[in-house]
This record gives sequence, C-alpha cells and structure tokens, in this order.
Amino acid sequence: MAEEKPLPPKPAPPKPPATMAVIPWQAELAARLKDRFGDRISELSSYLGQNFAIAQPEAIVEILEWLKSEGDFDYLVDITAVDWPKKPDRFELVYILYSFSRNERVRVKASIPEGFRPQSAAGVHLTANWLEREVFDMFGIEFSGHPDLRRILMPEDWQGYPLRKDYPILQQDEHWVHENVGIESGQ
Amino acid sequence: MPDATFLDSTELVLNMGPQHPSTHGVLRVILKLDGEKVLGTDCVIGYLHRGVEKIAENRTYVQFNPYVDRMDYVAAVSNSLGYCLAVEKLINVEAPPRAQTVRVILTELNRIASHLLWLGTHALDIGALTPVFYCFREREEILKIFENYCGARLTTHAFRIGGLQYELYEGFEQEVKAFCDMFLPKVAEYEELLTNNRIWVKRLQNIGILTAEECKQYGVTGPVLRAAGVRWDLRKAQPYCGYEKYDFLIPTRQNGDTYDRYLVRMEEMRQSVRIIRQAVEGIPDGPAIAKVPKVLKPPMGEAYVSIEAPKGELGYYIVSDGSTQPYRVRVRPPSFVNLQALDRMVRGALIADVVAVIGTLDIVLGEVDR
Amino acid sequence: MIRAFLKRVFLVDLFEGLRVTFRNQKPKYIYTEQYPAQRPKVAERYRGAPRLNLNPETGEPLCIGCNLCALACPESLIVMTSIRDEKTKRKTMNTFLFDTSRCMFCGLCEEACPSDALELTQDFELATYTREGQIWDRKMMEEGPKPTRYKC
Ligand code: SF4
Ligand code: SF4
Repeated sequence: MAEEKPLPPKPAPPKPPATMAVIPWQAELAARLKDRFGDRISELSSYLGQNFAIAQPEAIVEILEWLKSEGDFDYLVDITAVDWPKKPDRFELVYILYSFSRNERVRVKASIPEGFRPQSAAGVHLTANWLEREVFDMFGIEFSGHPDLRRILMPEDWQGYPLRKDYPILQQDEHWVHENVGIESGQ
Repeated sequence: MPDATFLDSTELVLNMGPQHPSTHGVLRVILKLDGEKVLGTDCVIGYLHRGVEKIAENRTYVQFNPYVDRMDYVAAVSNSLGYCLAVEKLINVEAPPRAQTVRVILTELNRIASHLLWLGTHALDIGALTPVFYCFREREEILKIFENYCGARLTTHAFRIGGLQYELYEGFEQEVKAFCDMFLPKVAEYEELLTNNRIWVKRLQNIGILTAEECKQYGVTGPVLRAAGVRWDLRKAQPYCGYEKYDFLIPTRQNGDTYDRYLVRMEEMRQSVRIIRQAVEGIPDGPAIAKVPKVLKPPMGEAYVSIEAPKGELGYYIVSDGSTQPYRVRVRPPSFVNLQALDRMVRGALIADVVAVIGTLDIVLGEVDR
Repeated sequence: MIRAFLKRVFLVDLFEGLRVTFRNQKPKYIYTEQYPAQRPKVAERYRGAPRLNLNPETGEPLCIGCNLCALACPESLIVMTSIRDEKTKRKTMNTFLFDTSRCMFCGLCEEACPSDALELTQDFELATYTREGQIWDRKMMEEGPKPTRYKC
C-alpha cells in the first residue's frame, strides 16, 4: 500500500463528445449504495437495462464486500479492464457481479490512471485471483495485496501488455518468435 | 548431485503436461507431491493463447464472429450464439422467432455433442476404453447435421448477428427427430456401461468435492455448480432465445463430487433432447434474419450478455465506441474460471484423482487460453 | 445386502457392460471409412476449396472485380486487382490471389460476393508440399485443385 499514488484528481474525467445514453439506475439497491458510500460512488446508471456503478478506485473492494454481505452479490462473474489512452485516467476496471438470490447483475467500474495500484479483491472473492492475474497480464495493472501476481496467459518473460491500445502487436510478435522459436514470424 | 535439503524433504515436484493425454490439450499442472498425495498444484496455462480479445479490436463486428468459434471448439455454436446475442443487445435488434428456434435446436445439439466428447474422454482418462467409441459415433450424427446445415462440422460459424445466414435444408426436421429417437436409448446404454460399474463408482465417488459455497466463491458455474446442489441455469434464470417457452428440468445433485457431476451431465443430455423435441415441432415460419445494417455501428455503450454454454456461464462484455470495430471484447470463459478450482479440488487427493478431476471439470484449453 | 454381495461375486456389473459391448459388435455397425479408397461425400453446403466460377455459357469469369470479398475477409487474405475494360467500360478482374493457408473457411467472402463468382466448394483436399503452394492464383482458383486419387 505504501507506494500507492495519491488520490486521482477529484473531478470526473472529461467525457468524449459521444457518450453512452445512460439513464439513472433507480432501485432500492442503488439508493442503499448511495447511502452507504456517498460521494465515493460518482454515478449509478443503467444502460440497455444493465445497471452499473462508477466508484472511486479505493472504494472498490469495500463496495464488493458490502455488496456481498448486504446485497447478496456472492458471485463475482468477471474482472476486466478497458484501456482508454486518451482519457486522463487511462484504465477502466470493470467488476461484474451476480446475485443468485436476486437473479440480478451489477457492474462496478472505476477509472484508474496508469501506475495506480488498486487493491486486490481476492480476499473477498477467491475467483478474483486468476481474473486479476489476467488483467495484470494483459494491461499491466498491478493489484496490491494480490497473493500471487504473475503473468498467466503470456510467457513469463513477455515484454509489454498486449491488450493496451498502444501495444505494437506485429513488432512484438516478430521479436518473440524470432528469439524463442528461431524462425521468422509468418505475419 | 542433489543437495542435502532435497534428500531430507519428502516433497516432490512433478510436472504433468503440457502434453499429457489426460490434460485435454496443453495444460501443464505442476504438482507438489508427498508420496502419492497432492499437496498443491499450480496450473500453467496460455500455451494456446491466440489473443482473441486483441483480434476482436482489429476486426469489424461481423468479421469477428468466426473467431469465437475457435475458443471452445467443441461447442462452437454456443460461442457464436453468445457473441451474436451480445452484439444484438448493443444494436438493439432481436432475432426473429424462426431464427431463435433454430438457434435453440442447434445449441442444444451442440451441448449434447460437447457432453458426449466430455463423457468419452473422461471415461478414457479413468480407464474405460469403450464409451469413447460410442460417444464419437453419436457425436458424428450431430456433426453431420451441422455439416448439412452450415457446411462445417466443428467451427461452424452457424449464426450471424441478427439471425441466421443459412436457411434450413430439406429434411432438417426429420434428421433432428431421427437423432433424438436414436439418441435416448444410447444414453441409457452409456449409463449401463458406467453408472453401476464398480471401478467407475470407486474412482469417482467422493473425489474432487466442491461444495456449493466453494463453487460460488470460485465463480464455478455449469454442471459443476449444479452437481453441488445449486439449481441454477442461465437458460432458466435469465432466459434468452425463448428458452422460457420450453419445458425442461435443471438436473441437480447434492454431493458435488465427480460422480454427481457425471450424473448431472448425463441427465442434461436427456433434457437437451427434450428441448430439441419441443423446438423442432414448432419451427415458426418467417424471416431467418432481422434487418441489420450492412455496416454495423453500434452506438457508444457497453453490454454484458451471457449464456449457458455446456461448460458454464459464457459471457461477452463488449464495449463500443461508435465505430465499426468493437473497442473491447472481453470473453468470460467458463473453462478458465472453473479451472481455477482445480487446486481446491485435488488438494489432499491422489495423483490418479487429478486426472479424474481435470476430466470432470470439462475444460477446453482453447477457451481457457483464448 | 446379500443381493449386493452376490452381484459382486458374480461380477454382474461386468457382464452388464459386456452385454452392451457385444450388442454393438454386429458388422452392420461398422462406421469406419476407408478414406483414400472410399471417399466421403461431404454436404452440399460444405465450405472447402475456393473457386472462381466462370460463366457456363461464355467461359468468361463471373467476377466483376468489385473487391468486396477482400474487404469482407477477416484475415484479409484475398488480394485482387482489377482493370477497366476499354471497350465495355466495365471493371474486370485481373489478378486474384487467395492464401488458403490462412483461410478459416468461414464463408464471409462467399456471402459478400455479389455475382456468385467466388464459391467455397466441396473439395477438401488442400494439402500441398510447400507453403507457397498454398497461395492460389487466378488460374488455380478457376481450375480448382486436382488431388491425387488413390486406388486401393
Ligand atoms: S472463407 Fe473466410 S477466411 Fe477464408 S477467404 Fe473467405 S472470408 Fe477469408
Ligand atoms: S466479391 Fe466476387 S465479384 Fe467481387 S471481387 Fe470478389 S469474387 Fe469478384
């Protein structure tokens, strides 16, 4: 936690001109979330009938914990990230949750700048272990407090993070294939 | 010359895979052993990583469709269905009823094909050599239907965004019905071979137990979850493609061991036949594909859509930035998430059980690694 | 209890299994195909080797050089050039390269073709001795592959 960067700037990042046509998420759960976390949740919306909350990255694990104990969201479906290189907070972390008893899905999202180390959710949901490893592998987002943060899909000595938008796929591929397989890449 | 600590220790590290026949592909499991007892495992995956998610960012929505077939290649139709549903959600289009019914038939056939492949290879791992031949024989019939329908057997590319590309061929209904009639006695035959077989029962019962609580913790879905007693199936919980119209049961068992997972899958095949029979009776007339613009440009937004694939919940999270290419496609693969529970399931078991547990998880490495 | 014991002693489960195996031993249940001798009949819609169709009456290529197939292909493996015919002022296909080694036979190119010129046919024997042999030119596309027929 020591090397965690200071809080990202308070105001929400400027949205690009075309935005998602969201409608506010109005439900009992949304109100309770707002009550509990106040301005640490900046947006509660719904798009195409799918609800999501945008939160401060520091609050994510706490929100997951609360949703698990209070909201019965006991199944973490997926953790992933989206790279928006043009935005000040480059990565958007996405947590997809499901509740068996409510039969409902909710997404929790947070924007983090490059180098920010979000807290690992592996203590709340065991499944976060591999999912976070994959996010680390693909985007280079390091989770603090993760039990075993290694690359998972790419080879251990791989350079760069493939799912970043600025990742030069051809050059890397040629380099790696040449180095390790000893042939010229077929691309 | 091993050093002294090595001689003192009773732990042995054993590498299983990446080409071990019972790992169903290129999975490498590093086992920490004490004698024959497993103290811990570490899965090394990624040998089959093809960067499907990266490919998606460089293709148009339509062009990416054939690639999803190559993830879980034994259940390509399910993959394709999930992707098409996700994009349809983004562009707010619904497939016409005819397409939906055909989709249900094909995905259920595919579920049977996937379970048959699982049954054959799982039995092979345990040491029962015969079922694999029978399973492949029946699977062949399904693949023939696929081939007649869309021209490919494995990576079918059967669905398109908005509906179906191919009209049903002459005799499709009869062939499907004939398959259903032929298939049910065959399931009984497999059960005759295995269910009461003493070796089979001994090798499977109380092996690799995963309780309902652990399943939820690990995010494990599909037959594994149902064998632990959770009656949860996305086809019932959040129906898509008109699954709510069909009358079928979700088989569950209580113990959550390998034997129960076997029984759940066997029953699932029967239920699939039941769904197919209902669906094929009333394929509605009408167009096979909805009106979809030639150049797909979903509005800026995102959607997560998941379906019940043979292995569990298969989800697609697609982010669109308003252009013709998806900004980000995230696949939530059931095999990848289920495989994570392997460590929990084999801790304290014997090496031979590892083989059984990998088999029972029904992983496809193409999907684990994507 | 006794029943279970007797079942055990007389290996009932074993014989039950054997019954199934013997039931399936009839020669009429043989499914194996003797491949090179006995060639499988693939489905009509099978997506195999690509072909550029010719107009059956005139022998002219049906392709109108629109390049749509190249645009539709996810692998961008079709490279074609077209020239404008001086007399008719229509575009015609000049060269056509199709890299079968990268093709995944998804059928998108075939669907995109407005003139039914490009077609994925029922030929499934695409193996060649060289990598370069996998790249088909216009001539090859029009004539189709000629796999060796074995007699056994
Ligand atoms: S079949 Fe698919 S991959 Fe092959 S050339 Fe046509 S569009 Fe491209
Ligand atoms: S789409 Fe058809 S007509 Fe157009 S260039 Fe390709 S083969 Fe020729």
